[in-house]
Amino acid sequence: MNPNEFDVIIIGGGITGAGTQRDCAMRGLRTLLIERSDIATGATGRNHGLLHSGARYAVNDAESARECIKENMILRQIAAHCIDETDGLFITLPEDDLGYQQTFVDACRNAGINADIIDPDLARRLEPSVNPELIGAVRVPDGSVDPFRLCAANMLDAKLHGGQVRLQTEVTGFIREGDTIKGVHTHNHQTGEDVDYYAPVTVNACGIWGQHIAEMAGVKVGMFPAKGALLIFAHRVNNLVINRCRKPSNADILVPGDTVCVIGTTSTRIPFEECDNVAVTPDEVTLLITEGAKLAPSLSSTRILRAYAGVRPLVSADNDPTGRNISRGIVCLDHEERDGLKGFITITGGKLMTYRLMAEIATDAVCRKLGVNKACETAITPLPGSEEKSYEAVAQKIWETPSMAQKAAASRMGTRAKRIQTGDRRDEDLICECEEVSVGEINAAIERMDVSTLTDLRRRTRVGMGTCQGEFCACRAAGLLAKAHGCIERERADLDDFLQERWKGNFPIGWGDTLREAEYTQWVYKHVLGL
Amino acid sequence: MKFDTVIMGGGLAGLVAGISLQQAGKSTAIVSMGQNSLHFFSGSFESMTEPPQRVADLFKDAGIGLHYRPGVRLMPLGTFKESAMSLEDIELFPSEKFARRVLIVNFQGYHDFFSSFIAEGLEKKGMQCRIRFINIPDIDPTHQAPGEMRSVQIARTMDRIWEKVVQEIRLLLKDEDAVILPQVFGLQDISVPGRIRQSLPAKVVFVGTMPPSVPGVRTQMLLKKRYQLLGGTYLMGDEAIKAHVHEGVVHSVVTRNLDSHYLEASNFILATGGLFSKGLVSNPFQLYEPVFGLDVEFAQDRNTWYNPAFKEDQPYMGYGVKADEKLHGLVEGKPLQNLYAIGSILGATHPELGSGAGLAINSALVAVDQILSEK
Repeated sequence: MNPNEFDVIIIGGGITGAGTQRDCAMRGLRTLLIERSDIATGATGRNHGLLHSGARYAVNDAESARECIKENMILRQIAAHCIDETDGLFITLPEDDLGYQQTFVDACRNAGINADIIDPDLARRLEPSVNPELIGAVRVPDGSVDPFRLCAANMLDAKLHGGQVRLQTEVTGFIREGDTIKGVHTHNHQTGEDVDYYAPVTVNACGIWGQHIAEMAGVKVGMFPAKGALLIFAHRVNNLVINRCRKPSNADILVPGDTVCVIGTTSTRIPFEECDNVAVTPDEVTLLITEGAKLAPSLSSTRILRAYAGVRPLVSADNDPTGRNISRGIVCLDHEERDGLKGFITITGGKLMTYRLMAEIATDAVCRKLGVNKACETAITPLPGSEEKSYEAVAQKIWETPSMAQKAAASRMGTRAKRIQTGDRRDEDLICECEEVSVGEINAAIERMDVSTLTDLRRRTRVGMGTCQGEFCACRAAGLLAKAHGCIERERADLDDFLQERWKGNFPIGWGDTLREAEYTQWVYKHVLGL
Repeated sequence: MKFDTVIMGGGLAGLVAGISLQQAGKSTAIVSMGQNSLHFFSGSFESMTEPPQRVADLFKDAGIGLHYRPGVRLMPLGTFKESAMSLEDIELFPSEKFARRVLIVNFQGYHDFFSSFIAEGLEKKGMQCRIRFINIPDIDPTHQAPGEMRSVQIARTMDRIWEKVVQEIRLLLKDEDAVILPQVFGLQDISVPGRIRQSLPAKVVFVGTMPPSVPGVRTQMLLKKRYQLLGGTYLMGDEAIKAHVHEGVVHSVVTRNLDSHYLEASNFILATGGLFSKGLVSNPFQLYEPVFGLDVEFAQDRNTWYNPAFKEDQPYMGYGVKADEKLHGLVEGKPLQNLYAIGSILGATHPELGSGAGLAINSALVAVDQILSEK
């Protein structure tokens, strides 16, 4: 058999692509996933990390709300190690209309979302960081999800089912015979190699970049690039997700995640050319801080770690200038039915929360084309690492009396953490002290999770995501990468890129402790270490 | 409490000023938060070449050896940098190719010394390198808690067991004419680097590690010891939080720990450092100096504080308090007559005084001369 032949090629290494590859692989298909850079580099890794209950969409978009709550409950079962079951509040502030609360609760219940009006006093007790001025509160089953971990776990499971992954590989064109897509031309940015891959079906799962991929295939998919900016704070000030109980607007969700919390978002239409390099503007920063402090006043005095922005893959509908009113619904286009182009499917729209359902819909379409009749099992099969619910129990099973760092590893890797128990105490030494990432965990990621750069490593292990933003751990981790890849020159450039990437998220919020830390990093790398 | 001069900040600038004033018979106090920029000192005094004799003497009397020959030094990531005045244990070479064959020695499980980067850097310059990891039971990572394999912890042990390291290297050494070691020697016992040099039949080069810098921490300890020996009052773990100023004259400062016991003096020296050391503080709208409210030079538009490229010079790093040519700090354009701002709190506002460690020393001397010239 030709090693470059597959049943299905999936383009896009975000959560939709990874989820689709997992589903296809679990249904017995030979799969190949192609991603031009690294996993979760688009909208997947650039959002709140909110495990939506669906409540946010209940009033305006009942269908999305229903999808959300259903997937929310599924992810709690299959992705335990990627999820924090925090619950959430929808608060009404004195400036908001308390009358909206009942409309909201009714809509939630209609969509199947448990939404309970609670006393503001109880809300203040449940969530001490909440704005004490609140006049109303509704409790909903929101949570938080680590999108990097979720994406990596899906891809890992696809690989365990025989799937192949080509990262740093860009689709440069389609192999077309008559009215049928037969495969793709690709270029590997690392090796410089050009390779053709063949499959009877290709799935376009490229988010906002899906428009460009569709164009390349000769069909038109109109996307609406809506930028959303977010800020990460250096402390986890809240334990419950805090939302505003009003029509969805700017900066009205505060999500706790790991050691931090995230406020967002804004929504601005941007030209396609900007999608590859979205920047956070000073106005957006000001708006996020001002509005965020209304949810949790302590945010105004909390150090900001980083600013970032993503582009929602909304499908164009009308002339809505902000994109807020476009349905977040799932769009699956079989281009044979729609455009007469065989062997090509686009899966888009939707959101992080509904990635599994999107994958199921896309995989159903793939299977129809291939005449495969096998039911989807992704809703009932835990992802690798998620076989147990409590990470503390996982850590205890592996180490008996686990250290803080070992517990942290178990919370990130779930049951897969047993892989880093090598028996060599040297592997327990910490590389990243902020996030407590050990030598063993880093080596495991380098070996088994397709890591080629420090930034890739950060997405898989949280190295450099903590308060020091990689000041100390970047160099140490670079040493391990250099050893694994045997190339120092490449690692030197990689270190440059990593620090530049960190700075890109730091300077838009460059004041206070963030600027102190940045000054230190700049001084140390330039004058002390000699980068 | 009353002194002739109260110095805020116990880094290089504050200590040089304190020692010089004590030597001249003045009574001084240094208010120090503890950590300062000497903890990540590279060992070379940036922008300083041949120092005035009194600086050389000051370091010598404190037990700190210096050398002044300009040359290049090997950096922790394997690059070279031109340097001049440096601590004795920083090797300065006339040219980058300082050896034919080099043995690079690292410790098992030590991730803060970048031996492979150094090897690559040297090989680019035509030197053959061999990296060897040695396993010394006393610093075996398997006996340490995670996160313990850091420069200062290792250096504490090394003062005791450096001879074992020398033995190991003797066994490893083949025909190399140079040996590179991490800078984790001579933290308390300053003679150790020299004794290692004498014990090995090859040129020994100590190369920096991830901070804290062992030579920097040692320099800080020796200067502090010298200052205290001269009778200076070193108030450790304290910081000035407020000042009493009347008609352009500073009367006293309030510190966090001393509460109502103000520190009174005829002169005050502000050596609290830049942004990192909190001598300057920034918020989204401005940079300010928190103790005296000195005028600060910075751009109004925050967007111009930064260069989006990490590697480029950053405008914000040049911002500093405004001071006249005698280094009196200015408030609303008017000098405080008995307050001197020295060291990195000046940013790049006085380029003639240099930058980094050079600025710290030069500006300290300007302030000291002013104070001593008074009647």
